Amino acid sequence: MDRENILLGYIKDELLRGRKGDLKAVDDLLSNGIIDSLGILQMVAFIEERFNIQVPDEDVVFENFQSVKALSDYLAQY
Amino acid sequence: MIKRLLWLNGLGVLGAVINHASGWGFTALFWWTDRYWGGSVPNFSQLGSASYYGLRVMEQVIMFSIPAFLFVSGFFIAFATGRNRETVAWSVVGNRVKNLLIPYLIWSVVIFAMNAALRWIDDPTQRILGTPLGYLQNLLFGRTAAPYYYVPLITQLFLLSPLLVPLAKKQWKPLLLVTGLLLLLVSLSRYAVILEMDMPIAEQILRLTPAWFFPQSVFWFAVGLASGFHLPVFKAWLARWKWVLLGATAVSFFLALFEWEFLFHQSGAEWLTPTRTLLDEVYSGAFLFTFLAFDKFNLPLAKFWSDLGTKSFGIYLVHAPVLEFVARASYHYFPQVLAYQILLMPLLIVCGVAVPLLLMALVNRSAIRPYYQTIFG
Repeated sequence: MDRENILLGYIKDELLRGRKGDLKAVDDLLSNGIIDSLGILQMVAFIEERFNIQVPDEDVVFENFQSVKALSDYLAQY
Repeated sequence: MIKRLLWLNGLGVLGAVINHASGWGFTALFWWTDRYWGGSVPNFSQLGSASYYGLRVMEQVIMFSIPAFLFVSGFFIAFATGRNRETVAWSVVGNRVKNLLIPYLIWSVVIFAMNAALRWIDDPTQRILGTPLGYLQNLLFGRTAAPYYYVPLITQLFLLSPLLVPLAKKQWKPLLLVTGLLLLLVSLSRYAVILEMDMPIAEQILRLTPAWFFPQSVFWFAVGLASGFHLPVFKAWLARWKWVLLGATAVSFFLALFEWEFLFHQSGAEWLTPTRTLLDEVYSGAFLFTFLAFDKFNLPLAKFWSDLGTKSFGIYLVHAPVLEFVARASYHYFPQVLAYQILLMPLLIVCGVAVPLLLMALVNRSAIRPYYQTIFG
């Protein structure tokens, strides 16, 4: 499974818990209330554990976490 | 460093549970003495005992909890604003506030119902319901349960954040100075009132700045905002001062502990509920920054703290009625436990954390899983 689908699955299962079944990779995660402050931190922890990628603090910015697509584009450099 | 914010939230919520458990501990120590020793109450003969100092030390250690929550919330707003936008989007603020207020309303109603039931058990002939205005005031000012003042407080700070963000981005030093002065003003007023100095202005300031109102807490939120927007500067500052911060944590911890005893004795009062002083704020800041500064130090049980951190708001909301229930059940059905803080505190703390976690796990595995966020935030 590619990273985008893994991230979508994680958000649907762990953060949304079945609330919005039609989450798309381009959906704005913050403006739509899909994830909050702790959700971001959970995502960072998940990425580090699942993909073995250490996300530098400076890269934990809205632009990289705005959507699943933005996040997988950012992670593509690793 | 950012990963540590989750741990910090986990430590913070355990601290909140410990703080409110120690409140019940003081109640057992002085107001419920008749249940295990007989005689009249309040009975302050245990002032200065090992149990008393044990509770005081616990309270002092976890003073950082609310500043930690406010710092993390401010940091989140900085994150949610991003690099290129002038301020945070109202949609982000609106969603955040909605996710705080709906669970808060649900648990407030649970507590209203629990209190009515307890009054009915106590005396079925008395009036068990409050007035609609009373309920409304309790909701607006976070008076449903002692810890609930935090929800109106953080809601105000989120609503203010579109105004604070441009300042935190471009004029963070004046922002920290002004908000720090507000905190200083409230703290100094508190000294004046505790020591019964003849300063009506101090009483007025405290009356105008209750815990649920933002002026006395906006500083920690602003620190989170400024740190988030100026992360390289903040991290360099932490790295430069980390040993000083560690020393300041240790020194301010003991100073704050002795300071309260001094204030208490100087006040001449029979009892004073411990409240935050300026030294507590210094300790909170020193602890918070030390925790973030030593980012190579891995916390033991990191997964546990992360899990607590992700569930912190739910635990915060649910622990209040749980503690009240366990404390009152102890009073009625097994009062001997009230005489031993070494038993009562673990009982309250374990229940205060485990019962909310159990409820969350049950909801998470049930058909109402899609409503998990509605219930626990």
